Amino acid sequence: MRENAEFLSISSDVVRESNQFQRNILYMERALKGYMLTGEEYLLQTYHSASIQNNTLLNELTASIHFNSTQLKKINEIKRLYNEWIEQFAKPIMASKPDTSASYQTTLKPQQLLKGEEKINIALQQQFRELLNVEYASREKKRIIMDKNEQKTKVISVILTVFSIVTGFIIAVLLARHISRRISKMVKMSNSIAEGNYKVNVEDKGNDELSELTRSLNRMAEMLEETISLLQRKNKELDQFAYIVSHDLKAPLRGIDNLISWVQEDYANQLPSGVQEYLDLVKGRVTRSENLIQGILTYARVGKEVKEHEEIKLTALIDEILENLPVKQGIHINVQKDMPVIYSEKIPLMQIFTNLISNAIKYHNKEKGEIKVYSKEQKNNYEFFVEDDGPGIASSHQKKIFMIFQTLQDRDSFESTGVGLAIVKKILDDRKEQIKILSEPGKGSVFSFTWSKI
Amino acid sequence: MKVINILLVEDDHLDALDIKRTLDKMKVIYKLEIAKNGEEAIKLLESKEASMPLPDAVLIDINMPRLNGLEFLSIIRNSEVWKDLKCFIITTSEEEVDKTAAEKLGVSGYIIKPLKLNNPSSMDVFNLMIDLMNMKVD
Repeated sequence: MRENAEFLSISSDVVRESNQFQRNILYMERALKGYMLTGEEYLLQTYHSASIQNNTLLNELTASIHFNSTQLKKINEIKRLYNEWIEQFAKPIMASKPDTSASYQTTLKPQQLLKGEEKINIALQQQFRELLNVEYASREKKRIIMDKNEQKTKVISVILTVFSIVTGFIIAVLLARHISRRISKMVKMSNSIAEGNYKVNVEDKGNDELSELTRSLNRMAEMLEETISLLQRKNKELDQFAYIVSHDLKAPLRGIDNLISWVQEDYANQLPSGVQEYLDLVKGRVTRSENLIQGILTYARVGKEVKEHEEIKLTALIDEILENLPVKQGIHINVQKDMPVIYSEKIPLMQIFTNLISNAIKYHNKEKGEIKVYSKEQKNNYEFFVEDDGPGIASSHQKKIFMIFQTLQDRDSFESTGVGLAIVKKILDDRKEQIKILSEPGKGSVFSFTWSKI
Repeated sequence: MKVINILLVEDDHLDALDIKRTLDKMKVIYKLEIAKNGEEAIKLLESKEASMPLPDAVLIDINMPRLNGLEFLSIIRNSEVWKDLKCFIITTSEEEVDKTAAEKLGVSGYIIKPLKLNNPSSMDVFNLMIDLMNMKVD
């Protein structure tokens, strides 16, 4: 390639120099003719400068072409002809002091002179033509070779490009597959963690950032597993503790209650009325304590029972609950006629409905009221509603009511343990179900909870 | 009228009083002996073997120190001499495990404390009463 480019540049030099040379001869010729006619010496200045330039050009041409012997021969021939032209025409013309009248005719015969000059000039031109033709021909040859080379280069570069694109693509696909396989393993792992299974581990013996990520995921899973199992153990212990404490507290309370009953039954006639009243108050407080303890016991038991699934006709279930709840004058309970039949755990559902409905009845503060129980079926679960038009709950209290032992009424006017809704919440939390409350003071409340179909 | 011999195995004084009071109210004529746990009860029974007749009914609490009611009951049922004794469980435990264990050991009644005569839903007390009355008739 570079050789060709070099050749082209030399060749175009040769062409340019040759043309310049011929042009110079033309200038010289013109100068000589002018001098011949006028005898003005300044016209010869053009001749001299052209002649100096031509000497240089001849040297350059020789130098440029020295490797090509046939062309060199032509240059030598040109040199010879040029010298001949100078010796035979130029020099004699310059040597003679032109005189417009006589000398010209005597010493020189212009017609003859010019004829001879023309001959040499034609010979020179012929030489140049041949010289340049050779140059053009070899340039054409070179150009064809270069074109061919260029074509080849193009083909090669296209092949190379296609090859590198294909290779790149294959590498990219392989890399992507490799990475995505590893990432999808990790995604699987985190999904499994999100579902609560912490005993997972992904193997990756690599040494890059992904392996680093895998290792830290494994560490995280381990930590979570440890923490969760510790938490579960502590929770169990707490439940166990609550169970034992409340169970043991029950016995002495029962004793106190018994004793008061015996006093009231056996010595009823001998007691002053004031003492009777006080004993009633003691009994009331004992009952309250027993209820609280029973509440803790029930609360601690949530999640302990074996989860047995059975067919539940909700309409029948709610009827059963209503039969066991105290009736309140003026409060009407309206249960949706076609409550679903589901296959689920009966006891926790019964606890939830009992607590929600009994709350709605107990806290209803108007002369007339309606409590509605209904359901909505969703894709994966049911949503159950217990709606009342009772006092309602201010939004600032709505979170509090699900905490154990929280009541919104003073215990003396409402015998309430503050455990019912805490139990409801615990049952639902245990099963990852949701409870919501929609309420406005004075207008009523809607408690709704989700219950999975499976 | 026949006096019913009752052996009460109960560690709580108040519960023992409760039973006594109930028996009085039922107008049962009885002779009550109290053992504070299973071990004491066995000693008492052993001492009876020679001279006195065996009790007509044994009322057994479950939660007791040293030898609990169910352990005591199982010793009774495995003994040649005492295996036919009429036994009742009187307990605060409403656990199914205890109920089935007692049933397997062949108890005549499983009664939940406290005894409430004026509570009609307390069927177990009612049955105990009938059983003890029948003994009286015999």
